[in-house]
Amino acid sequence: MVTQTEADLDDATLVARSRDGDMQSYEALVRRYQGPMYRLALRMLGSTSDAEDAVQEVFLTVWRRLAQLQEDRAFVGWLYRTTTNRCLNVIRARRPQADVELDEHESTSTRTRPDHAAEVSEQMTALGQALTGLTPEQRACWLLREVHGRSYDEIAQTLGTTTQAVRGRISRARAQLAEVMAPWR
Amino acid sequence: MAMNDADYMLPCGRDVETVWDRLTIVDAGNADEHDRSCPHCRAVRESLRALRAAVDELASETVEPPADLVGRIMSAVRADSRRRDMLPLPSQDPNEARISAQAIASVLRFAADTVEGVRARRCKVRQSDSADSVEVELSIAVSYRGLTAGAYDLVRERVTSAVSARIGVRLSRLDIVVADVFDT
Repeated sequence: MVTQTEADLDDATLVARSRDGDMQSYEALVRRYQGPMYRLALRMLGSTSDAEDAVQEVFLTVWRRLAQLQEDRAFVGWLYRTTTNRCLNVIRARRPQADVELDEHESTSTRTRPDHAAEVSEQMTALGQALTGLTPEQRACWLLREVHGRSYDEIAQTLGTTTQAVRGRISRARAQLAEVMAPWR
Repeated sequence: MAMNDADYMLPCGRDVETVWDRLTIVDAGNADEHDRSCPHCRAVRESLRALRAAVDELASETVEPPADLVGRIMSAVRADSRRRDMLPLPSQDPNEARISAQAIASVLRFAADTVEGVRARRCKVRQSDSADSVEVELSIAVSYRGLTAGAYDLVRERVTSAVSARIGVRLSRLDIVVADVFDT
């Protein structure tokens, strides 16, 4: 006799069950994806409290709209799309001068060489700051591609644009960010 | 400030994107003469390498949301979910007992999951003509390794007995639909 806990199940199974109103399955999906969504929102919005609110709102919206999801396997892409658009809306609603500085938060990646760790963390802090200098759409494209590994097609759909425009935004973002990295070369 | 691509053109005629695209080629030891001799390209390459190192760290960042976020999300989800599709349970008149189709579905899915190689997915529960029985359409995913002989009968048997033992209603009809295969 085998019983599987929700944590062992594949996404498509959990999504199908969630759509039936099974909250335990939905909770397993929330546990599985709250981390990446939170990290995306944090880099987009630069504030822990705004990122928490955005992620909470996203998972509630997705729960309400599960019936509209055509394909159970498309859930993760849909989650990224909802999170990105939520963040862009939050930024648009802010007063122009109130664009928040990124919170200083410790990077917890483990490095074997402490001296190297300090140096890279400094670079990463600089990169984090430089990200705030991109336009929100550029920042979204760049984060989704370079940090979260989403496809150009998916990013284009998310932002309602073409893959060519996405490639352009990412290459401009990369050039701007590389300039900021010049002192560490 | 609007940026245009000309802003990223180097004095040597290559742009930053070209240098980025060639970075892997150069690192693999296949640099062309221009890559080797151009100081502008070399400087941009170094910046891009520094960027790549910082991006690797950003991508492996493990900053986690606060521990109570899942709880907050699920409270909001529960508050939002009205119990729909209530079905009557057998009871002595004039008392009335009802159960949500969702609760029945949970019991059914759990019963189907106990069969090796089967994962219950969607489960639609409807009341049938008589008050003490229900009709169920259960869609399942099966392991790509295949199922043992008699697995579907076993699903049927376990689901049927779970409905009567745990909920106290009869299963008048059970349709099993194989919706997918899974490979974990």
